[in-house]
Amino acid sequence: MTVSAAILMVALFALTQSPVGSAQSKMSGIMPASQSTQVTAPHLTAQLVDEESAIYAPDVINAGLYFTLEPGWHVYWTNAGDSGEPPTIQWTLPKGITADAMQFPAPKRLPLGPLMDFGYEDDVLFPIALHADGSLNPGTVAHLTAKVNWLVCREVCLPGKAILQMNLPVVAAKPAGNGSVITLYQKFESQIPAPLPASDTATFQQSPQGFALDISTGAKQSGAQFFPLDETVIANAAPQPSTPTATGVELTLKKDENLQAKPQALNGVIELADGSAYVIHATPGAVAASHPTGSAGGQNGLGKAALFAFLGGIILNLMPCVFPVLFIKGLALVQSSQQERRQLRAHGWVYTLGILVSFWAVVAVLLALRAAGHQLGWGFQFQSPIFLAVMAMLLFFLGLALAGQFEIGLSLTSAGGSLAQKHGYAGSFFTGVLAMVVATPCTAPLMGAAIGYALAHSALVSFAVFTALGFGLAAPYLLLSYNPAWTRLLPKPGAWMEILKQAVAVPIFGTVIWLVWVFAQIAGTNAMMGLLAAFLLLAIAGWVLGRWPGKTSAASVAILVLIIAIVVPVWAVRAFGSVGQPQANVAAATGDAVWQPYSPDLIAKERAAGHAVFVDFTASWCLSCQVNERIILDSVDVKQHFRDTGLTLVRADWTNQDADITKALAALGRSGVPTYAIYPADPNADPQVLPEVLTKGIVIDALNSLPKPQRQSAALPRPISQ
Amino acid sequence: MRPLSVATIFCAMLALAVTVSAAKVGDPAPDFTGTDSNGQTHHLSDYRGKYVVLEWTNYNCPFTRKHYDSGNMQALQKEWTAKGVVWLTVLSSAKGADGYKTADQENAWIRQIHAAPTAAILDPSGAIGHEYEAKTTPDMYIIDPQGKLIYSGAIDDHRTTDPADVKQSKNYVSAALDEAMAGQPIAVAVTRSYGCSVKYEGAD
Repeated sequence: MTVSAAILMVALFALTQSPVGSAQSKMSGIMPASQSTQVTAPHLTAQLVDEESAIYAPDVINAGLYFTLEPGWHVYWTNAGDSGEPPTIQWTLPKGITADAMQFPAPKRLPLGPLMDFGYEDDVLFPIALHADGSLNPGTVAHLTAKVNWLVCREVCLPGKAILQMNLPVVAAKPAGNGSVITLYQKFESQIPAPLPASDTATFQQSPQGFALDISTGAKQSGAQFFPLDETVIANAAPQPSTPTATGVELTLKKDENLQAKPQALNGVIELADGSAYVIHATPGAVAASHPTGSAGGQNGLGKAALFAFLGGIILNLMPCVFPVLFIKGLALVQSSQQERRQLRAHGWVYTLGILVSFWAVVAVLLALRAAGHQLGWGFQFQSPIFLAVMAMLLFFLGLALAGQFEIGLSLTSAGGSLAQKHGYAGSFFTGVLAMVVATPCTAPLMGAAIGYALAHSALVSFAVFTALGFGLAAPYLLLSYNPAWTRLLPKPGAWMEILKQAVAVPIFGTVIWLVWVFAQIAGTNAMMGLLAAFLLLAIAGWVLGRWPGKTSAASVAILVLIIAIVVPVWAVRAFGSVGQPQANVAAATGDAVWQPYSPDLIAKERAAGHAVFVDFTASWCLSCQVNERIILDSVDVKQHFRDTGLTLVRADWTNQDADITKALAALGRSGVPTYAIYPADPNADPQVLPEVLTKGIVIDALNSLPKPQRQSAALPRPISQ
Repeated sequence: MRPLSVATIFCAMLALAVTVSAAKVGDPAPDFTGTDSNGQTHHLSDYRGKYVVLEWTNYNCPFTRKHYDSGNMQALQKEWTAKGVVWLTVLSSAKGADGYKTADQENAWIRQIHAAPTAAILDPSGAIGHEYEAKTTPDMYIIDPQGKLIYSGAIDDHRTTDPADVKQSKNYVSAALDEAMAGQPIAVAVTRSYGCSVKYEGAD
């Protein structure tokens, strides 16, 4: 028997049983039908309720609009969210009675795929205060009529309307209260967000992505949720990572895509972890920069990156592409006389400037490419087997050059040599530019890391990192221009430079091996044959270049072979490539831990069943993902903790393009892998995102901080009609 | 730049580009590829030089029905396609979800309700919906002849399901097209759309 049918039955029973007037209903909570009609509509019932069954004027009557809903169906909050409309009520009241506006208890988040609505499930009472003045005469009956409109939705939406009536006799003495209605009323009235106490503060600070909202209540709060009252200010569906502060909590809110203006205030309801809810009008202010777990960046990050870049720049000087230039210039410094020293120091700075300008030009190009890439909607390159093949071939070719099959870097050195020979500041400037240009073949790992880091961050960070790199590259020469005597400390250029260069080829070939492995995962072993055949062609081209260095005809032949080499794997991918699911090894069970493959419903299902879910977003081409998995997630300690906490383990494999996983990542505020998220058992709690570089401690702490899973049944409110 | 650096650049760029930003008014509208109910393929880029209106729809939704039962949507489609606007109705309901229609069903439906879009794009995978972050049915987007998104949001200002409200509502789409065609700036370029949620694949 459905809920609505049961209510109807009970209402009919009440109708036949209770006398007109103020008798207390023996049924748990249903108003005697003579006093207020209850309307049954598709998927819900609607009723006007009143704490007291009569009016003792003058009086404030605690009345309300009460909905009971079928499971899964919901009605909406005053700001419904991404879709939906709140219920509305229009009163027709007798003289002497006025009604205040309908009040909305604090809502729940109702996710629907990529959208987020705010509303209520199961049952909800919207308290409405009615004011009866003294003009009402005892002995009369006040007829109150309300025209109610609503939208009730689950997967579909049904608009509904009803005319609800409530007849309240006016009596001469204070009437008895209706116990069950009082309980119901108090329950929902207590959920109405209160104004924020004067002793508490709410401030927000705008950031490029949105807002940092700081709530200070005097006591540390473990979490909070923000429900906006203004539309199109924040992105409703975005998660709101919260960080407890000493006096309250700080939330990170993502702004709505189309928000143009800077809002003067953030108006909304904040629900704290302890269940209390407040209406806030947050004002702009400075918010302490605290970062939720998992977000990259911050002062520390930039400092470390700049330091790395600086050290990298210094090491670049040892590369055979740079070192000879440095050495020769150093010798020139030693041989210069005292008067020229000051000039030489100036030259040193010009040299530095040359390097920096070149680096800045590179950054500018890269940022332009990045912006263009955004416009073009680039994405998922590592999931494209052709891109992988091209990368692998380029690196293989470079590796051959570094290993000594043929030369690239040194010829550049000689080409630019004449420019660098110029006297005066121009010469120093171009030496700097030259140093930067020729350094690049030799710098691959370090420079690449700096570029990667910088591009993932803002333009400011990019420039900072590259400036540090440039200073690192320039530092030794600058140092020598101040202390030319130290040139003696430099080792003489010699065979060691060549060995160093060849040694650099080793990690490059290692990267090639890794790329070939990923390529085979995605495109299959037949396509891999094509790629390896291309490598052979590259080696032939390299031999041609090495056998006849400097000859244009040889270079042309080499280019021809290169073109064939590029075509081969592309054809192989087209012919043999399988763009299917990757090998099972990514989703395989490792030891005792069984990782289930990701599906959008799985997480919701597990949370509904009271299990927390640990999701490992990974991909076979992501090296740090593999490292984290093998070393941390598969370690004995962590597996033990997984078993103890009874988490459901889900692996989201992003090796091939997967729209669901991309959506899930975006919902977490992340754009790539690795990403590790723990979805608590409570469906209303936000997921916790772990940092990209895992340690056992981080994972175990996060697991320990999970609340114990609640029993599902206790969380649901009981409709009073049962 | 040298290859591994290039590789790392691409690596970093893809990480950035993964957060493909959705359609934002004032930015170039995301290009899309869609198949209509007659099997034809449409790219947004095909319509450079014309105004394009994207109308997300779900004929079961009471808010959508408000505009179709009253004839409002059909009238808008006729009026604006006659003025050279490309009007594309988009159905992003997942297969089996509320509002899903096969090509035949959609063609029959268009005939039945006398709708007049340029084409009805079937998007059951929700790809186009996600590109534009379409939230409700109806949800309206207007793209100018240069490919820029100039309006996103509700069809009009009465967020109700009552067909009687159509007459007194201010229609944001017509207003925006009038202003854009007259070369004026669009007064209301962004509103919050109203309607039932788009029934994307994987949403429940």
